This record gives sequence, structure tokens and C-alpha cells, in this order.
Amino acid sequence: MDVRSQIAMVFHLDKCIGCHTCSIACKNIWTDRRGTEYMWWNNVETKPGTGYPTRWEDQDRYAGGWEVNNGDLSLKSTGKRKVIFNIFHNPHMPTMDDYYEPWTYDYQHLFNAPEGSDQPTARPVSMVTGELINIESGPNWDDDLGGSPIYAANDPNLAGLTPEQREQLFAVERLVFFYFPRICNHCLNPGCVAACPSGALYKRGEDGIVLLDQKRCRGWRSCIAACPYKKVFFNWSTGKSEKCILCFPRVETGQAPACFHSCVGRIRYLGVLLYDASRLEEVAKLPNEQLVEGQRSLILDPNDPAVIAAARANGVADSTIESAQKSPVYKYVKLWKVALPPHIEFRTLPMLFYVPPMSPVMAHREGNAVAHDSEDLFHDIETARVPMKFLANLFGAGHEAHVRYALKKQKAVRWYRRALTVGDVDMTLAQRMLTEADCTPEEADGIYQLTSLCSFDDRFIIPPAHREEAIQMFEDPLEHKQGVGFGFLSGPHRGM
Amino acid sequence: MNPLTHSFRNQRTAGLLSTAFRFLLAFAVLVLLLALAAPAQAQDAATFFKQNCSSCHTIGAGRLAGPDLKNVHTRRDRAWLKQFVPNPRAMIDRGDPYVLKLLQSANGVVMPPPQGLTESRLNEILDFIEAESKAGRIWGGGGLSDRPYTAADFVLGRALFSGEKPLAKGGPACISCHTVGTLGSFGGGRLAPAPQYDLTRVYERLGGRKALGSWLSAPPTPTMNAIFKQHPIEPTEAFALLSVVEDAAASSGEADAVPLLNFFLIGLGGAVAGLVIFGTVWRGRFRSVRRALVRGELQRGSASLTTGGER
Repeated sequence: MDVRSQIAMVFHLDKCIGCHTCSIACKNIWTDRRGTEYMWWNNVETKPGTGYPTRWEDQDRYAGGWEVNNGDLSLKSTGKRKVIFNIFHNPHMPTMDDYYEPWTYDYQHLFNAPEGSDQPTARPVSMVTGELINIESGPNWDDDLGGSPIYAANDPNLAGLTPEQREQLFAVERLVFFYFPRICNHCLNPGCVAACPSGALYKRGEDGIVLLDQKRCRGWRSCIAACPYKKVFFNWSTGKSEKCILCFPRVETGQAPACFHSCVGRIRYLGVLLYDASRLEEVAKLPNEQLVEGQRSLILDPNDPAVIAAARANGVADSTIESAQKSPVYKYVKLWKVALPPHIEFRTLPMLFYVPPMSPVMAHREGNAVAHDSEDLFHDIETARVPMKFLANLFGAGHEAHVRYALKKQKAVRWYRRALTVGDVDMTLAQRMLTEADCTPEEADGIYQLTSLCSFDDRFIIPPAHREEAIQMFEDPLEHKQGVGFGFLSGPHRGM
Repeated sequence: MNPLTHSFRNQRTAGLLSTAFRFLLAFAVLVLLLALAAPAQAQDAATFFKQNCSSCHTIGAGRLAGPDLKNVHTRRDRAWLKQFVPNPRAMIDRGDPYVLKLLQSANGVVMPPPQGLTESRLNEILDFIEAESKAGRIWGGGGLSDRPYTAADFVLGRALFSGEKPLAKGGPACISCHTVGTLGSFGGGRLAPAPQYDLTRVYERLGGRKALGSWLSAPPTPTMNAIFKQHPIEPTEAFALLSVVEDAAASSGEADAVPLLNFFLIGLGGAVAGLVIFGTVWRGRFRSVRRALVRGELQRGSASLTTGGER
């Protein structure tokens, strides 16, 4: 057992309101520089939709992530042989248009325009070329309603849905959607790190944050092709790649990352997980239907004395182990099993988990009118607006069992809380639903507490970073203790 | 003295010594190299004449590309000769009437200045020619058969010219720098300076089979001399090559511009074919996702778009 610690995350999609505050918080801090205008380390996608960059989930085009070849795990995009034949050009790279051409507006024109018979307008200007452009797409074009029918209909997760299911999804004015906020998953088996020919990408030992060394990066861009989530970006100004750093300067000082901190819907949770690194490869090679369970089995019980001893032996700090014992992520992922990894079939073993959203049917069409049926709030999950198959494509490698389990449990908790607080639902029925959903009343209370009444301190259990230990590896803090200080400019003298 | 400083001094002295030693060594190597180079100058006038003059001149065996040098000392004085030989071009430019007459008789071919000619060497050579003329000994002019060319000669010549059959002593094939009119659609090389690259009329320029054969035995021009000094052309090879040149002179005009155009057209066709092949092999390559998707949807008339909402 090779116990390591990983800062992991849970996004509760049932609570996301799609306000994009997280994206803006991140943008203002990290990607407001020249060359990064088009980057959104944090972005919020509308599902169904094609996302950012367009159809990033389609690995037939982008060749991101891993595949199992003759029992060996290999990157889809590159390899020793492929890299020689593609040494001058990396195939499978999103173009600027697949992200979007960043723009601003010519606001000065509103003030400087010569007098005329019309109101002056602020026309869009490309932030890359500085020239006037026609905006064709944006980082969240679906949400901007800039072309939703085209983009929504081309969501890769719609694969395998029956015509009836599609009809069910798009029944009411084609306007059903949920939100899917994305940041770097800080994967356990990161494709970007494996692909980098310069060794610029690395996964930090102490907390598993995946970082890109700007001094080592040589701009090969193999990471961009290899990351199936397309969360490494190329800065066209510096010629180096960049990615989400999980706001490590904030995390090291005990603060939640900016996108977590600013989240209005309180959907984001952050905490430490202890995992068994010796089984990583074995798990990453499992067949698709066993991947979710396999990844879960990597996560170790932080209260198990054997795990604690192994962690200590591996140099994991006691404070980190304590932090892991209180981790909200551990509860959602391992104890309650309601949070699931996105597209685990890419085999990077992402460490960002999603609680799948409920989508009760609130209205249906009657001729040309839309009839509302709000009384059915506690719907049957099988007939939800978003088909199970769609969520399974997103969170279960196409297999519905884990998604169904998570949704069933969420629904049972709702019934149980309704019976408890309002009382218009029969308690015995609620209890039976809990049992059927593999849930106890205590667990239901826990889920309810952490979902609905969670404060900052409940959502973010951030381990002390112990930077002093890291620094001491390279520098002796006592080196200059008896050295020469600044001293006096004119020394003090005894007497008058 | 502080022991530390002392040992430091010692180290420095040792360093200086080793630098001096290295200089000595370098000097010794230099001297050795010069000594090795010296014997090259020690060849006698006869050898020099054979290697550098005999390709165009004979003593008493008649005219080749250049005039017979027998009794040249009676025709021109020593001072004139010493002015002419190292730099023939300068005399032509100056308009010396005798040189212009020579040029005419040589079909306009200017004598290339001999390589490695010093003043003392020139004196030795002129002495040599004078002595040999007086003694009546004949130098040069032989070695090449007079028999008529056969078909086999011609086949061998073509193979040698094009490099299909390498020259015995390892010299480069003619085609790398020269062309002749009979070479076919691609023509040959054009590296040699104009008009020499085209060998179609070389027969006329250098004055027939005998002159050209002698010329080939030790090509005197700076570029060819440098190459073929080490890798001479064998007499049988020269004979075969002459058959090609003679055939070209007899049967066709100048190597014209058609081969160049052919070359360009075939190159263009090849490039286009290459692009088509690559474009076909990699037609599924990554181009653009979003733009292609939107365009595809719009082209499909987007049934889904129009039947979707009533708005």
C-alpha cells in the first residue's frame, strides 16, 4: 500500500444555478493577461451542449486520454513512435475557433463617434488581432442562446439515446438544461503529465495538484492534445502552456480556491482523500463498467489504523490525515457514493466528482400550450427530464447503475426530509424508500446537512500545507541567523 | 608563508607550465605538417608538364586544344611568356595582338591559368620546353586510339556519362555538371559555368578528338583539375566518352530549353500528385470542429431547427 494524499473536489450539480461567478472569479485572478484572453480555467457548460472547446468530449476527434492496448495503458494522442512522425505539428489540437476568438467592444466609439443620424454602437473587436470581428461563437454559446439548437443537438453524450429519450429531453421548447461547471480535475493518472516531452508538468507530491512549470515548458503542446478534458491551454503570447493551479497560493494559506470561495450556489466542496497509489495502473486498465467502482476502491478509509500507519510511513503529515478524516469529499464519494467522476472512460482518474442533477418534469406540452405540473416535485427518477442514459454517458462511462444509485439516494433523502419537516408524505413510505436506496436515516441527515446547511467550514476542509517543511528541503532557515543584518546607518552612542 | 597560499601558488605554476607545453606541442605539429606538405613542390618540371600542360599542349606532336609548344622560345621571348602564362585573360583584356590571334585559332577557348605555378616553377618549365625542343624529343599527343567508334563504345560512353557505370578511378559522372543535346527529356546538369556546361559543341571548341582526348587525360580547368587530379579518367573511358560527345556534335544542336521546361512540369506534376496523395491519406485529419459542425448543420437544411420550436 502506497498511501498518498490528494486534494479532491465535489461539485453538486443539483445546486448549480449557472451564474458563472466562479468563471469570473478565476478569470479576474489568473487569466486576464495577454495571451490568456481565450482561456477559461474554470468554465460552466450548459448540458446538453457541446461545451468548451466545442465537443471536447469527442475523443475520436481530439484523441485525449488513455486507451488500453494489448493490456498496456497508452495515450491516444501521442507515443514514442507517433511523436517522431508528428514532431513539427501536433495533430488533434483544438483551433482558436474551437475555443472562441476572444473579443471586447470598441467602447470609445460611443464617446468619440462623429455626430450622425444614428446612435453610435460599440462594435466587437478581437482581443487577439485587434481588428473588428463578427462574433461567431463564445465560451458558452449555448448559454448565450447563440445557436443552441445546433450545439445542444450535437452533444456527444446524446450518443446511444433512443429517439423517445431525445424527444423527452427536448420536449418543452428545447429548453431543458443543467449546468456543468468544469475546472482541471487534478487527475490521479493525468494524461497531460504523461505526454509532456519536457517534463514541465508534474503532480505535486504533498497534495496532488497538477502544475505546469513555466520555466521548463517548451511549448510542444502535447499536454493540450493529451488532456481529454481540454483543461491545459496554450498561451499564444508567452509560447507556453498554462492550466488551473487550483489556486495553490490560496490553498497553502488555508483559503479555498477562488472559484470555490465565490460559488453562489455553494455547490463546491474541497477536501483531502488518501488513496493507494500502488494500484493506480491496475485500476486505470479496468473495463469501462468497473472503472467507477475501481476508482472508488483506490480511496482509502482515513480512520483505518493500517491506512494511517501506512500514510505516516509515506510522509503524509498528521494534520493531513486529520483533515482527510473530516473531508466532505470522502463522504460524498466513498461513504454515500452519490458523487461520480466525469467521463471516467478517459481513464485519467479525475479527482473532481459530480453529484448528478435531479431534473423533475415540471411541464409538458399540450398542443401549442405548455401545461405546468409542479405538484410532481418528487418524481420518478426513471422519467426525469434528462434521460438516465445521458447522465450515464457523462458520469458512468455509459453504464447507468451508479448514476441511478446516486439519484435514487438523493430522491429518498428528499422524501425523508419532506416527511420529517412538512409531514405531507407518509414516513413509513419515506423510510422504505431510504432502505431501497441503500440509505439510513443518519446518512440521510448527513447528506441533508452537507447539501443544504453547509457553511464555509463544512465545505472546505483544507489541510495545512506545511510549506515550511518543503522550504527546509532546499534552504536552511538558520543559515543567515548570525549573519550581517541591515545595521544602523549611524550607530547609537552611550551618553548624550 | 601561509601553507594555503603556498599550495595555491604551486598549482598556478603548474598551470603555466602546462600551457607552455601545449604551445610547444602545437608548434611541433605545425612544423611536421609543413614538412609533409613540402614534397608536393619538389616534383620536377617534366611531371608538372605532364599533369598541367600536356592536356592541351604537346612538344613536337602537333596542335591539341592549344598550340604545339615546340620552339616556343623562338616565337616569343621569355619576358612575354612569363607575363602570359600565369594570367592569359589579362593579356586578352589588354588587347595584345598576338594573343588575340591565338584566341582565334583556339576557337575562343581561353587557356586556364595553371594551378600551383610559381615564378621559379615557370622558369623551370620554360627551360624544360626549350631543352626538349632543342633535343627534338616529343612529348604528349599519343595514347588515344584512332580507330572508329563502335556501338559498344557509345553504350559504354552513355553509361559513363550518366553515371550508371562509375568511372574506374572514382571520379564523378559527367552528368552532375554537364549536359549534351542527345541526353533526353531531363537533360543533364548545369553546374558548370556557361557555356561549358553544354558539351554538344565541345568538339569544335577544343579542336577535335585528339585534342579533347588529351584534354580529358588531365582536365586543366580549376574545378575539374581539383577533382580529376586524384581520380583521373582512364584512356578507354575517355575514348568511350568522346564517342558520346562526337555523336552529339554530329546529330543535334545545343541542349535547348525544352529539358528545363520538362523538368519544371514534371516537378510541378509530382508536387501536385504528392499533395493529392497526402490529402487523401490524411483526409480525416483534425481541421476544425466547431465551424465544420455549424456549417454541416446549416447545409443539412436543419430540419431539426425548423421543426423544433414554434417561436
